[in-house]
Amino acid sequence: MVRLGRVLFATAAALGVSLSAVQASELRVGFTLDAMTLDPANHRNRETETIIRNMYDGLVTRDGDMKVVPEIAESYELVSPTVYDFRIRDGITFHDGSPLTAEDVRFTLERLTAEGAMGDGQTSPRKSLLGPVESIEVRDGNTVRITLSEPWPILPAMLPFQEIVSKAFVEKVGTEGLATQVNGAGPFKLVDWRKGDAIIMERFEGYYGGAPSIEPVGKACVERAIFKIIPESASRVAALLSGDVDIINELPPFSVEQVKNNPGTDVMTVNGTRSFFVAMNMEGELFSNPKVRQAAAHAIDKDLIIDRILGGNAARIEGILSPDAFAASTDLPVYEYDPEKARALLAEAGYPDGVEVTMDTVGAYKDIAEAVASLLTKGGFNTRVAVGEGAQMTQKWRTKGGPKSGDMYFTSWGNGSLDPFDIFTPTHRTNDRGNSAGYSNPEVDRLLDEAAVELDTEKRAALYRKAEQIVNAELPYLYLWVPQDIYGVSKRLKGWRPSADSRINLHDACVD
Amino acid sequence: MSLGKLAERLLHLVPVLLGVSVIVFLMMALTPGDPVDIMIGDQNVTPEQEQAMREDLGLDLPVHRQFFVFLGNAVQGDFGTSFYHRRPVLDVIVERLPATIELSLVALIIALVTAIPLGVLAAIRRNSILDKMATVGSLLGVSLPGFWFGILLLMLFAVHLQLLPVSGRIGFDSEIEPITHFLLIDTLLRGRPDAFWDAFKHILLPAITLGLPMTAILMRVTRTSMLEVMRQDYIVFAEAKGLKRGRILFRHALKNALIPTVSVAAIETGSLLGGNMIVETVFGWPGLGRLVVESVFLRNYPLVQAAVLFYAVTYVLLNFIADILYTTLNPRVKL
Repeated sequence: MVRLGRVLFATAAALGVSLSAVQASELRVGFTLDAMTLDPANHRNRETETIIRNMYDGLVTRDGDMKVVPEIAESYELVSPTVYDFRIRDGITFHDGSPLTAEDVRFTLERLTAEGAMGDGQTSPRKSLLGPVESIEVRDGNTVRITLSEPWPILPAMLPFQEIVSKAFVEKVGTEGLATQVNGAGPFKLVDWRKGDAIIMERFEGYYGGAPSIEPVGKACVERAIFKIIPESASRVAALLSGDVDIINELPPFSVEQVKNNPGTDVMTVNGTRSFFVAMNMEGELFSNPKVRQAAAHAIDKDLIIDRILGGNAARIEGILSPDAFAASTDLPVYEYDPEKARALLAEAGYPDGVEVTMDTVGAYKDIAEAVASLLTKGGFNTRVAVGEGAQMTQKWRTKGGPKSGDMYFTSWGNGSLDPFDIFTPTHRTNDRGNSAGYSNPEVDRLLDEAAVELDTEKRAALYRKAEQIVNAELPYLYLWVPQDIYGVSKRLKGWRPSADSRINLHDACVD
Repeated sequence: MSLGKLAERLLHLVPVLLGVSVIVFLMMALTPGDPVDIMIGDQNVTPEQEQAMREDLGLDLPVHRQFFVFLGNAVQGDFGTSFYHRRPVLDVIVERLPATIELSLVALIIALVTAIPLGVLAAIRRNSILDKMATVGSLLGVSLPGFWFGILLLMLFAVHLQLLPVSGRIGFDSEIEPITHFLLIDTLLRGRPDAFWDAFKHILLPAITLGLPMTAILMRVTRTSMLEVMRQDYIVFAEAKGLKRGRILFRHALKNALIPTVSVAAIETGSLLGGNMIVETVFGWPGLGRLVVESVFLRNYPLVQAAVLFYAVTYVLLNFIADILYTTLNPRVKL
């Protein structure tokens, strides 16, 4: 046994010696999913977007407060409700040294929006993200004019998701080549893509500096940046704790304490863009009664769940919008937690002995849905949680006007643009694609439709606020909270903070 | 075995593959969930745009038509285009294959070199402490969920002792121009012992996790068959003749005792493929198993189809190899 021990020790020592120190200015991100492709126009996947966005820049981007600011564009203006002009900054070069021109921008947008523009008759799967873009033209050499088929006020909010490619490069390598090769104008160049394992990037020395309104302007801080793909969250946490990576995304709430208590690591959070809520099927008899819906609202103690289950990592909401979203109201009435009142309201509605309900949800939300269910049960709604597969739930509850079965649906809706157009309309407009409550109010429909085309920002915000007051009173949903995105970070990381749009921008990040 | 027999066995592949395709297709079709819905997520898409996406992916046809389109293309070697990677699925799968094969082979080697000596020792020291420890060990080995065991190894060796890396196939300072795409081989061919060591440290924990249940099974098989052989007349005779014990064990007993071990090992190699899905996910191993798991969640039908067919072919071939090995090692049996 003694000899065996020695052998083990010697092996351990040998293994330890060869542990190489991490390079001085290399930053590693432990990330959930690999890019599907490196072609900015040929995917429909958020993780792919996050990775690509470090090598490619867009016309506009978002600052720390989620405000849309010019990036490759020097400025932009709304010429008429359906015409935008983007003036392109001078002196920007692609990684291969060639200058970025307005023609590259036009080509990029054309490739994204025109039918069959990807070659081989393929159309970009991102086309629908640019809604009613009708035509793109270059004017006066350095201005790109985007014409819309109808007013669409969220165009600037959707453009940070589209990256500018080099026309000459795409014509040289083709759509097939662009899947694995990068010639962007972003802060990092591609070194190697080890598929499924890692994306290795190095600093682009000729970088123009990025958005002038986001400090610091200039080259990226680190020499090398790496996205290391670690899908399993426990392994991702392990990689952070062992110092193997400096940032991890999707830190599970139950690991927050562990990461905080570890001397070299810390936790960073940011309000996400995803609102959580419970849809009450208003097509059913029970929840068509407003008193029943109010009863349910009074039965839920949101603060308790946020504190105890979400580890404090969520912001409560009284309407559908995130507190950070455009036009979010701060003065919506609050349905206080009051189980007595809930039971009284149920009795008034004709259910003195309470009711039996089923709440559908997906596996990932099971625990939290159980917590909501137990609170509802105390309030007179004897609630059973039924877990189904995500896509199955979508078919059952997002029927786009088709008949609905079921009582309640614990779900969520993402809002990457942080504009109500992308979340309020789909979940509340009659028969819209996310309207799982089966809610229909012509007044709300009118307000949402008007707001969608209103170009005056103040007026537009007022329309949404009015609509939010109405839905807060009518309660098609139990509005719950917006969880924060939780990141684990190494303490040697400086200059980086998480972004509400889930992007991980490494341009400003430094490591000691 | 004659060539005719060989051809016959290979022909058996055809109905198997056809059956597997039908089953996979049906299962994917019956599994609720629509790839286009998943792809769109919460984004703003008009019904026309949604229809266009559906047509683009070939999902506008009824299921049986989709199946025949798939079948027609598959016999020509075209397994379709991955919805997400937007490239031929075969290309995507082939890229990930070397990592999976390398991991499986290392796991197999680990299993063989630990299971056989342990099994033999347990048999010849029957009812000793060592035998009992081996029995308990193998029970644990089969019962421990790979997912849990993998994380445990990670926490111990990567986080606390910091001896081994957490995930990936090779470190970022070990750039190797691929030759065979098996990193343990390529690093040596390129004359980079440092990179070989790096790759070896990366593969160690996933291979142990993957190989553990197989080790347990093979050890039990070896032990049982060794015990059986030791009771045979010819062994008793050899002992009576006064032959040295070592000679009896290794020349006479082991050779016969290993016959079942070898064929079980060949069959169990198939189950390594299943284990790969979990182990590759835990250790961020860039192989096929993880790709399939991701694809199932994303409803990436063409990729899942092709990957399952690949697994089926591998299983059939491994069984075939097991049969051949069995007849070669045991001349009393004819196929």
